[in-house]
Amino acid sequence: MSLIKQLWLTIAVLLLLAFGGSLFIGVSTSRHYIEQEVEIKNADNANALALTMSQMEKDPVTIGLLMAAQFDTGHYRRIELRDPDGEVIDLREGPEQVEDVPNWFVDLVHFDVRPGSAVIQDDWRQYGTLTLESQHSFAYRSLWRSTLALLGWFALAGAISLALAAWIVHSIRSPLRSVVEQARDIGYRRFATSPEPRTRELKEVVQAMNQLSTSVAEMLGRESERLDALRKRLQHDPVTGILNRSAFLEQLAIMLESHDRRATGSLALVRISRLGEVSEHLGHAETDRLLKTLAQELEQLGNVRGEGVAGRLSGSDFALLVPGTVEPAPLGRELTHRLGTLQEGLEEVAVGLPSALIAYAQGDRPAALLASLDGALATAENRGDLAQLIAEGPQRLPLFNTHADWRQALTQSLQDGVYLGRFPVLDAEGKLLHLECPSRLRLKGEWRQASVFMPWISRLQLDTQLDMAVARETLREIDRHGKPLGINLSPASVCNARFVLDLRGLMQSYRHAAAKLWLEVPESMVIHDLESFRSLCRELQPFGCRLGLEHVGREFRRISDLQALGLSYLKIDASLIRGIDGSREQQTILRGMATLCHSIGILAIAEGVDTLQEAELLHELGMDGVTGPGIRQLDRPGG
Amino acid sequence: MPPASPSPLPSPERRRFLAGLGALALAGGLGLRPTLVDASFDPSRLRQSMQRQYGQRGLAVLEEWFELLERLRDADLRRRLEGVNDFFNRRVRWIDDIRAWGQEDYWATPLEALGKGEGDCEDYSIAKYVTLKQLGVPGDQLRMIYVRARIGRGRNAQAHMVLGYYETPSAEPLVLDNLVPSITPASQRTDLDPLFSFNSQGLWAGGSSESRADPLARLSRWRRVLDRMREQGFI
Repeated sequence: MSLIKQLWLTIAVLLLLAFGGSLFIGVSTSRHYIEQEVEIKNADNANALALTMSQMEKDPVTIGLLMAAQFDTGHYRRIELRDPDGEVIDLREGPEQVEDVPNWFVDLVHFDVRPGSAVIQDDWRQYGTLTLESQHSFAYRSLWRSTLALLGWFALAGAISLALAAWIVHSIRSPLRSVVEQARDIGYRRFATSPEPRTRELKEVVQAMNQLSTSVAEMLGRESERLDALRKRLQHDPVTGILNRSAFLEQLAIMLESHDRRATGSLALVRISRLGEVSEHLGHAETDRLLKTLAQELEQLGNVRGEGVAGRLSGSDFALLVPGTVEPAPLGRELTHRLGTLQEGLEEVAVGLPSALIAYAQGDRPAALLASLDGALATAENRGDLAQLIAEGPQRLPLFNTHADWRQALTQSLQDGVYLGRFPVLDAEGKLLHLECPSRLRLKGEWRQASVFMPWISRLQLDTQLDMAVARETLREIDRHGKPLGINLSPASVCNARFVLDLRGLMQSYRHAAAKLWLEVPESMVIHDLESFRSLCRELQPFGCRLGLEHVGREFRRISDLQALGLSYLKIDASLIRGIDGSREQQTILRGMATLCHSIGILAIAEGVDTLQEAELLHELGMDGVTGPGIRQLDRPGG
Repeated sequence: MPPASPSPLPSPERRRFLAGLGALALAGGLGLRPTLVDASFDPSRLRQSMQRQYGQRGLAVLEEWFELLERLRDADLRRRLEGVNDFFNRRVRWIDDIRAWGQEDYWATPLEALGKGEGDCEDYSIAKYVTLKQLGVPGDQLRMIYVRARIGRGRNAQAHMVLGYYETPSAEPLVLDNLVPSITPASQRTDLDPLFSFNSQGLWAGGSSESRADPLARLSRWRRVLDRMREQGFI
């Protein structure tokens, strides 16, 4: 039995005992008292009447009159006179009048009053025995009334006590619930802290659990910082803190190979002209500061634009990769503006900050892109300090020419239905964790990959429609085949409260399928809008679906903030996976990440795995799952 | 992971339940059941009471009373009446209540009358009434009668009490009086005018000798003396 139920039962029993007991005692005491009083009255009146009659002539008329007078003016039920042989001489009897008292109450109380009796003396002989009973039906009525009044009071007192009890129980229950909730969370390795309740015993429990959570969070913080420091040493430029050349190029290659929204975007190149002169003029420290400022500006621009990545390609060349931004011109304007502000801040020396941009798409070769950019940048450098050029990329035939065409085609294809691609995510034993399902849309008679239409989906703000269509199709698919499927949601959808509500409604109608759904959002989501992601987790977790982050790398150190969200898995970005077999540092980092993930009950999955050897190594490092071009399910062709 | 073994401790719920049951029983015990006084003729208790109140001398008289009961057990009614009448008329000296007990009108039990050796008219009547009942004379044949007595030469009227024996309820009674040694039919006692009579009939429900030990008993003088008799071991 639950504690709360026991409490209620105890309270109810106590109330009943107290009230029932006092009612019983009250009624039986009154009853006893009334019986005694009436009995005394019976005895005394019988004696008094007998005494009077003893002194009188025993003439039947006189005796009769005397009895009548006593009976008529008094409150009697019966006055009876019998001679010594038991024959009735005279008898007066009135009806018993028990009004407006229920019969069961009369039966229950049932006064047991003995009649008074006395002998009338006629000289030496006994004339007769007088028996007298008083009217006591009034007593039933007054007892009934007082019982009702008592009951009324008890009902009132009971109601007040129950209200009080309800308040007490409530004030115990809500902190108790949150304690149970927290304990359960800890059981699932979700180390959240919760406010301390006022109840002392619960407070101690919560304090202990909070302490545990805090120390786990601290440990996570410490460990993830350490791993991040390692990763930074490997991937970042020590002076500016942004990606170094090899890491940046790796990132670029991953994006160009990917099939999702990241596969299309813009690439920018910025150069500090005459870096040697500037360095001479400013000195070493100042120059480093300038480099750092520029790097920060680029990084900020990338963050503002979404999942932008900044990198330092050489001493004076900086690059910015902004996936999803198909039109380089607006990005270029923003970049120029920032560079201008930066240049104005430097009064002592004239710094040239020429830049060049290019649009990229899936399948482009990094080397070709960079070569075009280099050429454009050289031209721009000659034109002026803040000059900018937009390089022509490889010629591509756009599917549609105008916004209107795109909108019409996309809307139509969304209505026609999405097709789900399939890429398996396998665990160490080669069993399926889930199938990644990137969406395909039928445009101009062909199923096109996300990289083709995603930029336009974003630009035309059709993200929520697409995600909804994908989610619906996925749930249907799970319902049909029962295999766990994974989809990713765009940040725009997650921020949309309406979408979250709709998704919840959808999952409600596919309750069984929802438990096999894996939902992931890009890592950058937690930087830009942690609150929206938190509310998404809160809304969807009750359905049993798994929530995770994809392309995790740079923000891994925030895992201590994320652990309380109840994430099920993290997909580690391919940039940390590529070339794993050749790099000890990378292996150390990944081993640490896997360990940390396991300590808080999160699965660590490696993205972009190219070969089975890599997969094997990753499993040895503790990764729970692998996915990527090199991963195929044995029983069916992936993708 | 080791399986969680259920603890073999006695369930606290059961203990709580038993405690609750105990409390209920206690509450029931505290209830309003009237206490029953076990009352019957009890020679040993009488001896104790006498010893305590009047010492060896009182005890000797009490033993004589027991002998009387023994002697008259199988005697006929007339001899029983006379024996009892004589015994008390001889053993108890007539005296005013005010001198014997220090109060206007004190109704003494036979034990008190015998122990003190002194008594008032009602003390005689009570003692004879109780003794005769003890000898098996039905209670409803015995009545204590308030009479107006004209005593001595001046024929002064005086309040008096005698014990009447009614063979049948409507018969003329035999009078057992402490002023006159012999037992005579009432009609011959022209010096007495009866006023009112009573006995212990109907005081106890259903003829049982158990009384509801309620405070009612102490409100009436007659019932008070009956109550004391019960305590001392007469009835």
